[in-house]
Amino acid sequence: MSAGTQVRVRPTGYQVVRIGARGRFLLHRRSALVATSLVVLLAAVCVAYLCVGESFVAPGEVVKVVLGQPSPDELVVGTLRLPRMTVGLLVGAAFGIAGALIQTVARNPLASPDIIGISQGASALTVGAMTFGITSYTVLPYLSVLGGVAAAALVYVFAWRGGLHATRFVLIGIGFAIALRSVTTLFLTKGDYLVAQQAKIWMTGSLNGRGWAEAVPIGWTLLILLPAVLWAARAQRTVSMDDDTATALGVRLGRVRLGLVALGVVLASVATGTAGPVDFVALLAPQIARRMTRTAQIPLLCSALLGAVIVVFADLLARRLFSPTELPVGVLTAAVGAPYLIWLIIRGQGGGRGRSGGTA
Amino acid sequence: MSSTPMSDATASAAEPDKAATAASAGRLTARELTLAYEDRTVVDALDLDVPDGRVTVIVGPNACGKSTTLRALGRLLKPRGGAVLLDGTELSKIPTRKIAQSIGLLPQTPVAPEAITVSDLVARGRQPHQHWWQQWSEEDERAVTDAMERTDITALGDRSVDELSGGQRQRVWIAMALAQETDLLLLDEPTTYLDIAHQVEVLDLVRRLTAAAADGTRGRTVVTVLHDLNQAARYADHLVAMKAGRIVAEGRPRDIVTAELVREVFGLEAVIVPCPVTGSPLVVPGAPWQAGPAS
Repeated sequence: MSAGTQVRVRPTGYQVVRIGARGRFLLHRRSALVATSLVVLLAAVCVAYLCVGESFVAPGEVVKVVLGQPSPDELVVGTLRLPRMTVGLLVGAAFGIAGALIQTVARNPLASPDIIGISQGASALTVGAMTFGITSYTVLPYLSVLGGVAAAALVYVFAWRGGLHATRFVLIGIGFAIALRSVTTLFLTKGDYLVAQQAKIWMTGSLNGRGWAEAVPIGWTLLILLPAVLWAARAQRTVSMDDDTATALGVRLGRVRLGLVALGVVLASVATGTAGPVDFVALLAPQIARRMTRTAQIPLLCSALLGAVIVVFADLLARRLFSPTELPVGVLTAAVGAPYLIWLIIRGQGGGRGRSGGTA
Repeated sequence: MSSTPMSDATASAAEPDKAATAASAGRLTARELTLAYEDRTVVDALDLDVPDGRVTVIVGPNACGKSTTLRALGRLLKPRGGAVLLDGTELSKIPTRKIAQSIGLLPQTPVAPEAITVSDLVARGRQPHQHWWQQWSEEDERAVTDAMERTDITALGDRSVDELSGGQRQRVWIAMALAQETDLLLLDEPTTYLDIAHQVEVLDLVRRLTAAAADGTRGRTVVTVLHDLNQAARYADHLVAMKAGRIVAEGRPRDIVTAELVREVFGLEAVIVPCPVTGSPLVVPGAPWQAGPAS
């Protein structure tokens, strides 16, 4: 009321966290709560993953193996299940972050690496290489990263017209995705039958046979990109406004967007190179995460955690559902996440009504 | 500061005895500003001095380039020729974040992130003053609290922007621009979509912004585009009338708003009478369908 106000306004739902003398960070309370719950959930799913299999291993033994203590189940858990699970975890997290970033820049919940051509670019180049006789598993992941990044770069260049237009970006991405998919199909039909069979499994996204050799590169990628991800978490806030408002607030929109997209593309491409294009994780994880946290922007950490939960849980099902036959994990990721997302949308909380326009 | 003979000449061409306002040429000026979309030139070699601590209103018919000019003043549009100067330096040579500490801008139809709360949106106006490691300061809190109080939206803080009425939402956006605490504020048709009561409310608020504060700090400089000529005449200290990308007249409303000007700029026959409340010129359009019009 009067000049000396008592009520001080802070952004609703945020907590100011002080670190050191000058550090002041805004922490969204609900996001922190959701992230903590997701960590617990992820831990539970991981333990379950390590317990369940051809032979059941007691949780106590699993924990022993993970902590590096001697255990009779060292081989089954430590050598077979743990590395594969680690790959799944990292792939899921990478897809989760990639999806969140690309959806943010495109301002479209449907824009994810498997819709706007990144996965298709990776597939086209990888399957092409396979049909031309390159089947070495040391070369293929790099080709797939290259394919994804190249496709994304092309989409970006074609969508550029004195600035990045979000809708153009998505539409051109979809166009590229369709074109690249036909290229892949061409390779598959022209190529050798056995190679085609192998390629198809890769294209569905599979963790079968993945181990430390695959976990290490993607692990390093995530670690090296961690500072960039921390930057992105903050930069995301401003990009979610309209272009004029963001610019008026002093955001160098072109650079920030390019940075966010590039980060998302690299993460998605590396994840695709590691496990193949695991469908829907990048699409679902950010949307579910956002509905859980009810933040105005897509939460990166929660997207990463949810991506990991979805992939690890889906792979657990993929291994056991029709055992001894194993399914590729990509078949089940959608089955795991989609019903939950649909339920969240039907329940209709925390957005999802679509934007009601700036004014009117 | 660099009130060159040329700038004086352009100002006094419109109104000789109005040199007082123009001479106090402010922080923001446009020099031979030419703006174009693709091949179409919208604004042609425009010179403008925005007087400090005043409300400058740009009026003109549709597609006369008034919003385009405002966008250029806020560096949202790169000039094809000429320049916009802030404190004598070309905007294109100043980092955009630095500009954001001096110039706030509210576009015509801003879009809020989905499901954002009012206080969160207003707080984002603090962006240009924050760092990665300093996302919230005492200063931020004071500015946001103050901006929400001035726009009378303190009670709405926890509400979602999506569920507000048009009038409330516009006040929230203005609060965000205020929280940015810039000397200069550019508003692009801030009254669009509002009913008359809300229009008046928003414009009253804009007027109050230019008033010097109790502690003696100078009021803010506002540049706004308005559609309604009567509102423009009522609220402007400095009125700029544009037509086809050029300034036809500028100065105090009571000095420049004449029947001739309205005819020249809008092609409308009108009678000008003094407003019974403020004394500012009131434009009453003629009624050609009636047998015996006032004119």
